[in-house]
Amino acid sequence: MDITFPYNLFTFLDMKMNSNLTWVVLIILTIASALVSKLNSHYVVLIILVFSSLKFLGIAFQFMELKKAHLFWKAMIVSFLVIFVTSIALVI
Amino acid sequence: MNNTIIDYKNIYYPPGGILIWIIIFLELITFGAALIAMAYYGNQEQELFHDSSLKLNKTYGMINTIFLLTSGFLMAISVSEIKKGNTKKFNKLLLLTMLFGLFFLGLKSLEYYDKIADGIGIGYNTFFTFYWMLTLFHVIHVIVGLVILTSVYFGVRKENSKTSIDDVEASAAFWHMCDLIWILLFPIIYLLF
Repeated sequence: MDITFPYNLFTFLDMKMNSNLTWVVLIILTIASALVSKLNSHYVVLIILVFSSLKFLGIAFQFMELKKAHLFWKAMIVSFLVIFVTSIALVI
Repeated sequence: MNNTIIDYKNIYYPPGGILIWIIIFLELITFGAALIAMAYYGNQEQELFHDSSLKLNKTYGMINTIFLLTSGFLMAISVSEIKKGNTKKFNKLLLLTMLFGLFFLGLKSLEYYDKIADGIGIGYNTFFTFYWMLTLFHVIHVIVGLVILTSVYFGVRKENSKTSIDDVEASAAFWHMCDLIWILLFPIIYLLF
């Protein structure tokens, strides 16, 4: 096992601020999605899917700390999201 | 508490460990495929799906999303605290994480109660078959997540605890997976039709 300790007070503070900001953005996007869903527009589906994708990435990269992971895992989660959102947009 | 921290840049050690990430991807693919199937049937029976979606309480869905996101946020902060060696704060934040998880389950129970009282069961129509199947499977994941977090809470509280950072991160990753799945379920079930 490759053991290092890449952790100090500065990375902790940075992580906490990032998490706070991520949480605020996620809540705003959730409320915005609910409000947008009431609009009568062809773009509603697209806007809701974009907001959901941003929330998904926020959780994966910030809360799950995927931003620190190997590129493979980042590419995997982004690929899943692209395939999923494209499929929904094409099917619906 | 074992404070060994792994180099996450190693392909075999994503945060939480490779096994939990294999589970996360399997779960995402399963729920994702079911949601794509739901969207397909929604396209085939547009009127039925639209009318059925109006029977859902979007406010409940939105509040539940806020509960889960807040719970996930508290989980992320608690993991930061334990890495800093602050076990007491970790325990407090973990309790709050679980509390918001319980709020989610409480509101979901209320929503289910309303649906059952209105006679809307799993066989009501295609939309509600998907609704019940997907949300119930998600609820099962939340319950399993709460059991795992409870086990971590008592594990970390012990003197001479053998719980490692890796165990905490794997549990946190499972909990965040419940957020990820809900973030996909909420817009499609509650908002898109």
